[in-house]
Amino acid sequence: MSWLCAALLAATVLLVVGCMHHPDQGTSIPPLPAAGEQVDPGLGPEARPLSSGPGYKGSPSWSPRGDRIAFTVDGYVVDRPVGTGDTRRWTTRDFVAEDAEWISKDDLAIFGATPGAVPAGEASRSVYRARSGEGSLGVKEVATGVLAMSPSPGGEGLIIAAEMEPYESELALLRDSGAVDRIYTGVVRGRVTGLSLSPDGRKAVLATRTAGDLNSFELHVFDLRVGTHRRLARLEEGTEILGAPQWTKRGICYVVGKEGMSIGGGAEPLYDLYTITQGSDSPEPTPGVGEDFVASSIRASPDGERLAVVGRLNPKAPINLYVLDLATQNLEDLTVNEDMEIKTGPDDLAWSPDGESIAIVARGALSEEPRVRAAPKGALLEDFYNLYEIPVEGRGAAR
Amino acid sequence: MLWISGAALAFFVTAGAFLMLANLGTGPSEKNLTPEPPPAESGPALVLTLNQERLESLRALPGQELEVGVRNAGDEDLSGVNLTVEVSSENTALSDARYYRDNVNELPAGNSVPVRFYLDLSTYESPMSSNPSSSAVPEPPRKIIEVRATTPEGASAIKTAIVPI
Repeated sequence: MSWLCAALLAATVLLVVGCMHHPDQGTSIPPLPAAGEQVDPGLGPEARPLSSGPGYKGSPSWSPRGDRIAFTVDGYVVDRPVGTGDTRRWTTRDFVAEDAEWISKDDLAIFGATPGAVPAGEASRSVYRARSGEGSLGVKEVATGVLAMSPSPGGEGLIIAAEMEPYESELALLRDSGAVDRIYTGVVRGRVTGLSLSPDGRKAVLATRTAGDLNSFELHVFDLRVGTHRRLARLEEGTEILGAPQWTKRGICYVVGKEGMSIGGGAEPLYDLYTITQGSDSPEPTPGVGEDFVASSIRASPDGERLAVVGRLNPKAPINLYVLDLATQNLEDLTVNEDMEIKTGPDDLAWSPDGESIAIVARGALSEEPRVRAAPKGALLEDFYNLYEIPVEGRGAAR
Repeated sequence: MLWISGAALAFFVTAGAFLMLANLGTGPSEKNLTPEPPPAESGPALVLTLNQERLESLRALPGQELEVGVRNAGDEDLSGVNLTVEVSSENTALSDARYYRDNVNELPAGNSVPVRFYLDLSTYESPMSSNPSSSAVPEPPRKIIEVRATTPEGASAIKTAIVPI
């Protein structure tokens, strides 16, 4: 019996020794930096540049397939693949575009003016249609007297508000074929400053300056099929609506501010985010962002469930990109701003069609001193306004 | 009891044998892998320097002096260095680039030489105020000075200055 115990003991020792962790084995290997690793431009590690080099860039717009992004550079329009590839110019360099939106995978609608016809201030612009692959930089004027435009929910075509008379406008649909159809037979009173379509495309919400009183803003909803409209809200005198109201599945969101009020005496106005929920006629501060939040620009997600907001948590906080889940009222910051200037124009942010990314425009803080870089100008990022893709982590994929 | 002990013994012996065989077949154990350092530069290497104070003194006028320091930081003499300076506007809608060229005949290893350019940094003939793109850009564009250096030996260097004038 003793030999059996000894044998069992020996076998146990053998097993334990065999299973012992060898000091040279299993040590974690430090990861090597990947080739072409992501550059952190000062917006957080997830930000990925979509453009580089000099130029005053803005108004990003994803193609319906999400594989290309168009934007304005110093007034002209370009697009480029979201991955690697060459930039493609759509207009001559003396064009003055303020916004560019895809109306099909091969067509852009451009809001602006051709050389020699540049209007000043709030004068109306024209909408031009440009097609890719035509081998020229020619654009075709398809609508004049345009005050505002907004892409259709599916990315095919867009709605425009065109001025007929002072403080009288009409609504029309620019189809991907280039045809312009009037879709609302009535007249829109007031001067349209921004508009967007409902997720089903049947209604439009418009922000207008009322006739005869330039300081008064109103929100109107137009039923494009029935031909009726109603006023949703009238703002207090001295307040204004920035950009286009956004129609979400939880209501209509818009940015309101008092003209003349600014952060720390600066030129940047203080804007608050309001929501008119479905079935309600009274605007309320949008829940979820906090009472100190300063909104600058907003954009509803393609599914209408979320709102991208460029703003500050409070007047002294840095500007960041946030996504507000309108159902859960959860506000998530998507950028970690390290001394970057994120553009706050109403058209300077855009959702990708799949709702998984947002494009913003940003640059490093300006310096009065000359800066020297060891790179060609075309490769520089933070010295100029450039586009960045910010992933909306897992949220779009989950829907 | 005996058959239980026998079964246990057989299990341990078999497991031990497999472990021994496994250890015999592995050869030398894995070593820590450390990231390889980037390959050290060899042969000719160019270094360009732009004097910061000189850059700060630049004005939007003709005849502005730019001093470019060119240094051979390699271990081989250079038979020549070709220098190109491009002056352009931050506003890419303006076609106002100006180009300047110079060359250094020989540059022994470890030596450096200053090269002076006299740049016209004045605004191009079509002033910004009359250019349509000025209405699309709400701020004055800066000047961009891009300096490139190349050698017949294949060395190259580049420096870009963004000058708010």
